[in-house]
Amino acid sequence: MSMESTIVRFELGGREVEVMVKPMTTLQSALRDHLGYTATKEGCRQGGCGSCTVLVDGEPMMSCLLPVEDVAGKKVTTVESITPTEGLHPIQRAFIDDYAFQCGYCTPGMVMISKALLDHDPAPSGDAIREALTGNVCRCTGYQPIVQAIGNAAVAMRGSEGEQAR
Amino acid sequence: MPRSLPEALSLLEAHSPELLVMAGGTVAMPLINDGISLPEAVMGLRFAGLDRLERSGDTLRIGATATLTQLLNQDAVPMLREAARNTAGWSIRNMGTVGGNLFTPPPGGDVAVALLALDASVTLASTRGKRVLPIAEFQTGFMTNALAPDELLVEISVPIRSEPTAYLKFGRKHANTPAVVTVAARIEWDGEQVAVARIALGAVGPHPIRARRAEELLVGTGLGAGAIAAAAAAAVEECEPFTDGIATEWYRRKMVGLFVGRALEQLAAGAAGEGR
Repeated sequence: MSMESTIVRFELGGREVEVMVKPMTTLQSALRDHLGYTATKEGCRQGGCGSCTVLVDGEPMMSCLLPVEDVAGKKVTTVESITPTEGLHPIQRAFIDDYAFQCGYCTPGMVMISKALLDHDPAPSGDAIREALTGNVCRCTGYQPIVQAIGNAAVAMRGSEGEQAR
Repeated sequence: MPRSLPEALSLLEAHSPELLVMAGGTVAMPLINDGISLPEAVMGLRFAGLDRLERSGDTLRIGATATLTQLLNQDAVPMLREAARNTAGWSIRNMGTVGGNLFTPPPGGDVAVALLALDASVTLASTRGKRVLPIAEFQTGFMTNALAPDELLVEISVPIRSEPTAYLKFGRKHANTPAVVTVAARIEWDGEQVAVARIALGAVGPHPIRARRAEELLVGTGLGAGAIAAAAAAAVEECEPFTDGIATEWYRRKMVGLFVGRALEQLAAGAAGEGR
């Protein structure tokens, strides 16, 4: 029970990282302030907006509510992790092509929840997409372009897998 | 951050009551982030090994830190699936725990409402030993409970039954929304008569409550329209709603009558469907 800093190690986008943090530092703060991974946004810090959504061992979580000690030894995935060295991930491409953002603040969270959805369900129905988005708030788009982008990203990803299979 | 239950219990014994116990963090962290809660010390339970969810005979045993996603993925108790599906969104369900839901102030606690209707029991542990309480005796007031300072909620046990149940949550949006009112109801039949009735209400009291007068009125009836109307009226009388940003006390009271009625109609229709 001390306020001493501790070292926490976890995997970030396939790379082992370590941060020295005070107790109760959130994963969000560790990513942004300690590691410089600023794609993950700070919105409400209440778990109410979803702009800080990251994947922990493949499952979406709100990084603002997660003490970084809780991800010790786990795999964390952010927008930086899924962006290829050249070009964009199909979900990112679809968000641009379908005008699925205006101000862009919710987009990293939207992209990560979409990634989680398409990893679990490569061909989601419209209802499944809407259900997945219930924890992520966008005040610009009215959601319809986002739902459309995720559907189109699903098609694009299935197509590219098909090509690889050939 | 304890790695086992014994370790958690000795930390609790040594440091309570200053120690804040945290599982999923979905209730405690927003308050800490905003500086409303400034705990001296926090014990995180994520690695304490309390997250098993398993069927054992005719009981569903739920570790206190099993997540709402785990609850959604089980099929032994359909009402608990429904309660989990109606709580928060995907990311929060991956973090929030079943045990933590019993510490969530109203209008939260939608899973606790279902647990109350299902006659669940809770296991409380300390270095002194374990004890089991009916869930109706666990929550004692607004944010207060039966836990001694050195006790930890470790498991929730739910009897697995075959009768149909009704779970209705009414909010201002379709999903990820605080409740105006939540109703969980269950009937055990003796032939064509109601033998046992359970009606639990959320968001209309200091914690999820049983509508005991309404339950009593149903016993011995055939769950006809008259009995349902009388029970709904009794529930309206005995609930203790409040006004917040979601709904007024007046509106919540109106909706208790409507949704208790709908839940019971659903159970009556289910019973008729089975040839009763």
